[in-house]
Amino acid sequence: MMSFESPWQYSFPPFFTLQPNVDTRQKQLTAWCSLVLSYCRLNKLYTMTVTEAQESPLFNNRKLQRKLPLESILVVLEELRKKGNLEWLDKNKSSFLVLWRRLEEWSKLIYQWVSKNGLTNSVFTLYELSNGDDTENEEFHGLEESLLLRALQALQQEHKAEIITLDDGRGVKFF
Amino acid sequence: MGNLFGRKRRSRVTEQDKAVLQLKQQRDKLKQYQKRISLHLERERTVALQLLKDGKKEKAKLLLKKKRYQEQLLEKTDNQISNLERMVQDIEFTQIEMKVIEGLKIGNECLNKMHQVMSVEEVERIIDETQDAIEYQRQIDEMLAGSFTEEDEDAILAELDAITQEQIDLPEVPSEPLPEKIPETSPIRVKPKTELVAAS
Repeated sequence: MMSFESPWQYSFPPFFTLQPNVDTRQKQLTAWCSLVLSYCRLNKLYTMTVTEAQESPLFNNRKLQRKLPLESILVVLEELRKKGNLEWLDKNKSSFLVLWRRLEEWSKLIYQWVSKNGLTNSVFTLYELSNGDDTENEEFHGLEESLLLRALQALQQEHKAEIITLDDGRGVKFF
Repeated sequence: MGNLFGRKRRSRVTEQDKAVLQLKQQRDKLKQYQKRISLHLERERTVALQLLKDGKKEKAKLLLKKKRYQEQLLEKTDNQISNLERMVQDIEFTQIEMKVIEGLKIGNECLNKMHQVMSVEEVERIIDETQDAIEYQRQIDEMLAGSFTEEDEDAILAELDAITQEQIDLPEVPSEPLPEKIPETSPIRVKPKTELVAAS
């Protein structure tokens, strides 16, 4: 599972302790943020609970025997939220949604795929978009349904798509 | 502003689209079903192997029988999926055909309308009228050009002839010989010197 190109900081023990110096700390946080995003992108992770994250190789470097403590994890996650790359899923801040691509980027990607393949004016089920054989090589393959739906809603606002709700499930038509 | 999407836009989703969606949903369900069965088959295969190892041949056989049955189901679902997909394609193609026909219809109407404006009688009438107008203009011209009688015309023509006859006396041919050769004018051609300019 853990096979991503880890930045040098990842094998640098002090990286796992939040630095007191403001400048250093800012740099450290930025590095952590990009690490989280690239980790999630690589593993196609969308939602995680904080406990899960705590145990994942992301914040727990077993080789180094170093863990980022919970408070620091929360600081990093909060930093990501400020950047618009993360959303809390509940009030207790126990699980979160990682947007390693922002919503606009997702909608853009989907629409690009649609127009590149001449699929405008066709109807799709949401399952087909995120799990179908045709989208296997697209980055949005495996995208979480709630996220997919939001990306499509954004496209709907731009009049590029229309979401269809049938009794059992949703679909979308692209224009 | 906030109500931008509150106004009811006419949905661009047709009944056919909904039908297609329904078919596709069915297909998705079948695909999920297939996934489930395939995973199940995989598991049963390992279990059967284990049973054989343990010497429970009868049980293994039973399990394989079950597996065979599920494989048949899988095949059937494959057929159903392809049926559904064909149906979707048919609908989509018919929709395209409908659009083509609509296009042809509009074109036809447009052509008809233009032809109505340009009916044969109308064209005939216009041409007749033009002819009449030309005739009329000729008459006016005649009236304005003064009242030359036919004799006058003849006289005028005769005079014209006489004048042109006189004019026919050609000027003499020059006696001097022509210059042998026109000195060659050196063509002014400034050839732009190609020069390589170093890329800045």
